Order: sequence, then structure tokens, then C-alpha cells
Amino acid sequence: MNATEIPLKEPSVSAAAGDAEQLERAYIDASTRVPVLMFYTSAMAWLILGTLLAGFVSFKLHSPDLFSDISFLTWGRVRPAHMNVMVYGWASMAGMGTAIWLMARLCRTVLRYPLLLVAGAGFWNLGVLLGVGGILLGDSTGYQWLEFPHYAAIILFVAYTLVVSWAVLMFRYRRGEQIYITQWYLLGAFLWFPWLYAAGQLMLFVVPVQGVLQSAVGWWYANNLLFLWFGAIGLGTAYYMIPKVIGRPVYSYHLATIGFWTYALFSSWTGMQRLVDGPFPAWMITASIAATILTMIPVATVGLNHHMTMQGYFPLMRYSPTLRFTVFGAMSYTIFSVIGVLISLRSVARYVNFTQASIAYSHLGLYAFFTMVIFGSMYYIVPRLVGREWRYASLIKLHFWASAYGIGLMTLMLLAGGFLQGANMENPSLAFSESTETVLPYLRGRSLSGILLAASHFIFAYHFGLMLLGLGRTSTVPTFLNPVEAETSGGH
Amino acid sequence: MKGLAPLFLGIFGTFVFSWVGLTLIPNWQIGHLNPQSDEEGTDIYPQPQSGMVERGARVYAANGCIYCHSQQVRADYAADDIERKWGDRRSAPRDYIFDQPVFLGKMRMGQDLANIGARAPAEQQSPPPAGAATPTASPAQQGAAPAPSPVPPGASPSPVQQGGAPAPSGSSPAAGSSSPATSPGSPPPKAPAAPTPKVPLASPSPSAIANAGPAAPPSPTAAAMWPMETIGEPMYSAAWHHVHLYSPRSINIDSNMPSYRFLYEKRRISDARSADALQLTGSDAPPEGWEVVPTFDAKCLVAYLMSLNQSHPLKEVRSAGGAPAASATASPAAASPSPAPAK
Repeated sequence: MNATEIPLKEPSVSAAAGDAEQLERAYIDASTRVPVLMFYTSAMAWLILGTLLAGFVSFKLHSPDLFSDISFLTWGRVRPAHMNVMVYGWASMAGMGTAIWLMARLCRTVLRYPLLLVAGAGFWNLGVLLGVGGILLGDSTGYQWLEFPHYAAIILFVAYTLVVSWAVLMFRYRRGEQIYITQWYLLGAFLWFPWLYAAGQLMLFVVPVQGVLQSAVGWWYANNLLFLWFGAIGLGTAYYMIPKVIGRPVYSYHLATIGFWTYALFSSWTGMQRLVDGPFPAWMITASIAATILTMIPVATVGLNHHMTMQGYFPLMRYSPTLRFTVFGAMSYTIFSVIGVLISLRSVARYVNFTQASIAYSHLGLYAFFTMVIFGSMYYIVPRLVGREWRYASLIKLHFWASAYGIGLMTLMLLAGGFLQGANMENPSLAFSESTETVLPYLRGRSLSGILLAASHFIFAYHFGLMLLGLGRTSTVPTFLNPVEAETSGGH
Repeated sequence: MKGLAPLFLGIFGTFVFSWVGLTLIPNWQIGHLNPQSDEEGTDIYPQPQSGMVERGARVYAANGCIYCHSQQVRADYAADDIERKWGDRRSAPRDYIFDQPVFLGKMRMGQDLANIGARAPAEQQSPPPAGAATPTASPAQQGAAPAPSPVPPGASPSPVQQGGAPAPSGSSPAAGSSSPATSPGSPPPKAPAAPTPKVPLASPSPSAIANAGPAAPPSPTAAAMWPMETIGEPMYSAAWHHVHLYSPRSINIDSNMPSYRFLYEKRRISDARSADALQLTGSDAPPEGWEVVPTFDAKCLVAYLMSLNQSHPLKEVRSAGGAPAASATASPAAASPSPAPAK
């Protein structure tokens, strides 16, 4: 279609909307300013720290003699520190920032009780700081994804209680009968997380379950954190941003309903497939494999819905940073799920179970899907909070391509390396060390992708910093990736 | 959708469904297992660990060993773990009932450690089953319980093959050199796996390792172990673990395990070299008049590693080495002449 027909103007200024509505939105946005920026700024700081730790982890895996005298820089401590900084520092805080803003907008009411959120952000930062410090000093609990020592976990939980009570309060003040699909996902995420976190902590530390069930609980928690917390926020955000930017309603509300409920039902039953062939009753693992395959239903409905909404509007990705990041994330969600199904099948899992392929899977979910969607939402939200537009289109483009190529390369390297590693491991005529040596070149490739990702994060942090300092452009038109006029005059 | 109640109930319901299904029901099914014992109530396995072992598990957790090492042996139909000699049988839930935390692991950048203690030289093994096995107790009952054996059955085949008299230094070089030769010839040694000797287990003498070393290193023959540029310690002995933790690449040049030097102390020798000082060579060796000794944490970690041993048969799991009965009858014979293991 011709680019001139595309509604490139800021969607809230659409002709149908009256001035009153526009004013109301601006008013709501202004009320979210302090808490959301606080969450975003903290998240950015954690992102940079997590990136530095990731670089260290990645290089040390193929150069293991680095800093071997220093206990808190040993690989086995920095790796969980990196993971927890990214999961609880960056992803959770940025996700909450976006979720808070969306909640206020969709409840169509100004943000009330901002102090709850400010305190929540403060406590959350303190919790992550203590937790990461604890891990580096040797206090890790030893459960993957739940390494934070108990003193940090309690603070995180208090912080979270503040945020979730705010969310419930906001819901009581909402205006309008209709609950938009995004709100379903957000409400789900806000309510699922505390139950999950409490269940995980209780069953592992307060009244610990026996033996191998600890691993089952651990992976049940980790997988549900990925799906019911990050996945729900990511999908909810995509359901808001895509229709909003292109100025067109979601294709089918009915599909959205089916997608949401099947997602809640099936994805929450996954997790045990990661323990395939372990010392567990076989039905647990089979149930999770079946559930993983069934997640193809929400993937198909959500994917179809987004695709049909976008139909005819894909060229807009040339201009809108938000759309470009969000669509990339939404597509990655499909890839992430398909790979999840593939590596959970017993015949494949036999090879990839104990390899780098599972790291690729986590990064696909947490980065290619969730983080990219959140980047997209930040490109949309931050200008509305600081009253300035992003300063450099070139930096946004650099950020996007470095992220996209970085995560693409990382996934390919870890998947290919993981498959080869597993194939060699499952070949008993080869020495075990062959399998780890096989994967080393791929790990070097991964370090390369890490450089790309680090570059993209530093660029984004710099750009974000400019916005915070009020150095963005003063303009009524959002920053487009490519100049619109030049494109149209160029003709199609 | 209109109304909050159905949405809320649905969100709550899906969560509870998953929580009950994936944690509560399994907990009801396998969450209250007891150790196994024979009819007299002896030969209890597994047994709770305490003291240094428990602290060693915390060192293991703190330093993230779990991110590279698993502790689970998969069944022979599912994977080749048993063929890699990582264990005689698959791991079962009962093996872990006293572990907290449980270190099943999700990555193998290093070997599986479920049986690393069982691979130690015979006289250093501290197998959990040995604790309660009073040697004079019952004769082996029903095959499943090798009660009188202080040596776990996983260890038994090799001494038996060597004629029941494992004079430690004498016969083992033969075992050491024969193993690489035999194992490639038997790619699927599932059924007759028992007679295949475990090299490290049967060769407590330093010289045996040194002899086996040149044969083993680059060749793919000795599937179970790493190529060894060897040091003077018997493989998987406590002293070997210390040297390996301190300087992994002095043992295997291709290893990418981090070195854990911060768990060791370099100090000046006061009067005599301490007994537990590490035997280091080459660039790792401390200067003259200095020695490297393990800290208490390092000793605990090694004690923990030495305690990892799932070689005791379980009634619910088929051992790869044929019927457990065979090893049960064989082991007393093998065990009696061996230098009495500590306890």
C-alpha cells in the first residue's frame, strides 16, 4: 500500500477522538511519570550491570583462568548473578514499569497512590541489590532462578506486595465496563507472580519438599515465571502497542479470548519437560511435554490475531520504532514456542537436555520475545512521560539492529552448538571432553553476539539518559526511523 | 469481557490447577519416601549426611557447580549415561531423599557427578551404604540387599575379575591398560557391563595411572574418563580432587573448568610440609619453602564429592550390570581381603 495512506500520526490524535479525550490521556500519562520513570531508570541500570556480568560470564566460559584467585568473580557465582540481575532487575522492573503505565491508561483514571509504587520500586531495588550481593559473596541457595538468599527474597516479596496492592486498587477505580484484553494479561501477571513466588519459596525453603521434588518445584516456578509473569506482560503489551500504533482495533476479540485462556491453562503446565528422563514419575514429564505441544494453540491464535491486525500495515515498521520492536518480539514469541516444543520432544531432548540449547531457549523467551517487546513499549511510553521525542532516529535503528542481530546470532550459536554438544555427549565412543570442546567455538561466537547486544544496550541507555535529562527533541511529531516524506517521494 | 469475577476466578483456577497437578500430586506420590533397608533393618540406603559433607554441599551451591555438572544418571533406554560409566543404574527419587538442596542440574559442561564418590579408589570410598552395614549381619537377602558388603556393588566387579584379591598396586596396571583396549570392542556393553573394570577404581597406585595415562589421553577409547596428563594422585581420590580444583588444566589441558584457587591457601612452610599440602607440578607449584593447602571449605567440598555415590542397588531400579543378586553374592568375597575401609 502507499505510504501516504498510512496513519503515521500519533494515534491518539486520530480524527475521531475529541480534544477532551486527548487531554485526559495526557493528564493520565503525567500522573504515571514519577513511578514509571523510576521503574524504567532502575531497570536500565540493572540492564547495564547485567550486560557487563554477561560479558564476563561469556568470556570466562572459554577462557577459564581469568581472575581465579577472587572468590566473588568465580564463574559459578557471576553466572547466577547475571541471570538474576536480568530476570529480577531488568526484565521484571521494566515489565512492571510498562504494566503500570498500561494499567493507568486502560483503567482510564489517573494513577492513584503513587507512593505505593515508589516504595515498591525502592524495596525491589534493595532486594535485587542484596540478592546479587549475596550470590557474589557465596550465599546462593543453589536453586536455579531462585538463587537469592532468603533475606533478599523477603524484601522482594514486600516490594511486590506494594505493587500488586496498587494494581488491585487501580482496578477498583477503573472507568468503563469493558476490560481490554491487555488488562487480562496484566491482571493475570500481577496476580500470578505473588502466588508463584510464595509457592516456590514456601515449598523450597519454609516447608521444603523432599528430594527431587525440589527440582520439580524449582522448574515449575522457573517456567511459570517465564510464561505467566514475563510472557503475560509481553503478550499484553503487544496486544496494546500493535493496534495502538497502527490505529486499528484488534482483528478478533474472540480469538484473543481463546488465546488468553488456552495460554493460561497450557503454559502453566509446562516446566517438567526440562527434567526429561530424570528421576521422576514419567507422567509428570509426559504431562508437561503434552502441555508444551498444546501451547501451540495460544501461539497460533495470538499469532494469527496479530498478523490479521497488522495485515496491510506491515510497511509501518519502516517508520515506527515501537512497532518494529514489538512485531519482532511477537514473532519471536512464535519461534520461542516452536523451539520449545521441538526441544521438549523426548527424541530431541535426549540430545539437547544437558546442553547449551536450553540456554538458547531461555534467551529466546526472555530477550528475543519479552525484552524486545518491552524496548518497543519504552520507545512509545518514555516520550509521553518526559514530554520530549527521541533525539536520534539513527540511534534507535542502531539499537534495533544490534539487538536483533545479537540475539539472532546468540540463539543460532547456542542451538547449533548445543545440538552438536549433545550429539557428541550421546556418543559413548567419544571421550566426554569432546562434547565440551565441540561447543567452544560456538561459545566464542556467542561472545561475539554478546558484544553486539552490549553495544545495543549502551546505545539505548545513552539515548534514554538524554531523554531523562530533557535533551529530547521538542516536537509534536514522534521520531520516525526513516523520514516519511523522502520515502513517499521516492515512489513505490 | 464484562465483570471482574469470572476473570479473577479463571486466573486463580488455572494457577491452582497447575500447582496441584505439578507439585501437590507428585508430592503425594513421591514426597514421603523412606530409605530402603533389608529385612533386618540394616543396610539402610540412603542415609543422611552430616558435618563436613553437609557443609560441602553448601560450598557446592555457593560456587555454582550446578551450572556445569548434573547429578543424575539417565536410564539406559533414554541416554548413554550408563555406558559412559557415570553409574550402574539410573537415578531414582529415593537416591535424593536427604538432599537439600537437590543438585540434579541442567547442564553438562562437565561430567555427571552422581557417582563421583563411587569412582574413587577403593580404600578411599566412603559409600553411604557402608555406614550401617555391619559386616557380620545377615547373609545376602533376596539378592537385592548386599548387606555385608562395605564396598558398594558398583565397585565389586573389578576385584572379582581380578581373582578376588585386589592387591592394590599389583594387579591394577593390568586393569588399567586392558580397559581402553576392551571398551571400543564392545560398543553396546549393556548386558555384560559388569566385568568391564573401572579403571580409576581399580588402580589406586600412582604408577598405574601414570602408565595408563599415555594410552588414554587423546584416544576416544576410554569413554568414561578424560584424557589425563596425569599427576601423581589416583584419579578421583581426595588428593586428586584437590589438585583438580586448584588447577584443572594441570590434569586435563582441555578442561574449561574454572580453577578454585580462592579455596586454597598458599603459605610458608613452618617446620615440616603439612600432610594435606597439594602435590603440584610445573607452573602451579609454589616456590621453595611454600606450600598450598586446602581451606576448610575445600576439604568439605571434597568430602561432599567423595560422598556422592548412588551405586547401592535400589529395589525399584534395574541395575545395568545384570541382576543385583550377582553382585550381592560376589561382593563379600571381594570385600573381605581388601584393606579394611574406614568404618
